[in-house]
Amino acid sequence: MKTLIKIKPKTYAAGDIVKIDFMAMHPMETGMRKNKDTGALIPAEYIDEVKFLFNDTLVTKMVIWESLSVNPLMSISFKVPGAGTLKVIAKDNKGQSVESTTQITPKG
Amino acid sequence: MRSLSITAALVCLALLNSAFAEEKLSMSDADKAMYAELLDNNPAEMDVAEGEQLFGELIGTAGYAKMLGVKEKDLPKYIAGFPRYVEPAKKVVTLAQTIQMAAAASEKPVPKLESKEMVKMSAYVKSIANGQKTSIDVKANKHMVEMMKLGQEVFEERRGGRGLSCNNCHSMDIVGQRLRMQPLPDLGAKETAAAGTWPAYRMTQSQMVTLDKRMQQCMKNALLAEIPLGSKEIVALEVYVTNKTKGNAISVPSVKR
Amino acid sequence: MERRSFLKGFGAAAACAIALPHVASAAEEKKSASPMAMNFETAVAAITGGKALTPSAKVKMEAPEIAENGAVVPVKVTVESPMSDKDYVKAIHILASKNGNVRCANIYLTPANGEAFFGTRIKLGGTQDVVAIAEMSDGTFLTAKQNVKVTIGGCG
Repeated sequence: MKTLIKIKPKTYAAGDIVKIDFMAMHPMETGMRKNKDTGALIPAEYIDEVKFLFNDTLVTKMVIWESLSVNPLMSISFKVPGAGTLKVIAKDNKGQSVESTTQITPKG
Repeated sequence: MRSLSITAALVCLALLNSAFAEEKLSMSDADKAMYAELLDNNPAEMDVAEGEQLFGELIGTAGYAKMLGVKEKDLPKYIAGFPRYVEPAKKVVTLAQTIQMAAAASEKPVPKLESKEMVKMSAYVKSIANGQKTSIDVKANKHMVEMMKLGQEVFEERRGGRGLSCNNCHSMDIVGQRLRMQPLPDLGAKETAAAGTWPAYRMTQSQMVTLDKRMQQCMKNALLAEIPLGSKEIVALEVYVTNKTKGNAISVPSVKR
Repeated sequence: MERRSFLKGFGAAAACAIALPHVASAAEEKKSASPMAMNFETAVAAITGGKALTPSAKVKMEAPEIAENGAVVPVKVTVESPMSDKDYVKAIHILASKNGNVRCANIYLTPANGEAFFGTRIKLGGTQDVVAIAEMSDGTFLTAKQNVKVTIGGCG
């Protein structure tokens, strides 16, 4: 599962509220689609939990279902308390899990 | 009796028409703005990043520039001029074909045009020219002149059981008319951002698609035989369509419906 | 003859669908029962535990009025709140009222968010309401919705 974290705007100071955009490459299969060749249902495969942590403290937890678009975007606000590490852990219903991190580095 | 029912049908139609006139049929500016924000978080960015890695492993920009006979720092300008005639190929080629040439020249496995790796790598290579203006020169040499002429012929040729051509939906005469709830675009207009913004993430397919592949999908939906990738005809079509956007900025990857 | 009886049957079925929307939708549900399937009322009850749902201007729901495709529909929800330790939005829930499984996402926020915001893109099986429910720290539930028309745009 490829992932991408973006902090917007790119430069910010401690105390600012920024947006954290998290994207993952994931098929988000609903379990309702059929394989065109065999006619068999394609099993559901979707991200079901995403956690945002700052310096290992939980900021936001998400419970997700298959209605999110393929290669989903999850965007939240975050009030920058200071420098630290932002970690995003995404897990899907098949147990596949990925941890992505980015550094929070406020200016000024 | 019969004329009565026809009158009734006409009245019904008129009523339907007036009902639809009240209803909004396409996206408002606010709707479009929401979709424009998708460009900021385009899933295809992850594909382009992977394409950069794959391209680096296969050839690298230095080797690629050398094969093309240009300085590495001139790559952005040079790439903005594709499809173009390149001497080592002795013909007009697309960026994907130059990647194949570079791979062959360095005795690496040559990626197929339709492979996922190639879509990612060609998107990366085109993204090197991001911010440049599309600078295709269809009068640069006799090869380009010939391809431009062929491209126009392919664009206007009515094919298939329904006798459709690209021009049926993309002639300048019908810009703004609606095809299944979507206004038909002017392929040359800045705001359409056509050729200079492919490869693009197609929302309906949830994946990144190249311009030639998109044209094939168009043919498929119009019940025309698909012109094969890499063929002279599809390269010519790309030349013709790209020339319409000459001068418009390149921005890859974009997001399309 | 066959065609006529088919048409008659079709007409009757269409009339049924109009007269008895609940029956029709129940049949559809049965046909397309996914393991995650949940209807709107059940999903709302699961979130609120039966408490009242109050439509509120404090919940700002942004979604297109018309979506050219149902595969990617941008949705943004912002809830007015100081996001202090005492007064904050505990959760934002997004529901697509007519999808097989209406639940899209439950977002559990903390005061560390600084602002109660969630943005995403969802799939919509057809024209329907997209509903946001905000669970406030005082135990109340606020809601807002936006109707999204899903059309088919262009060719291919």
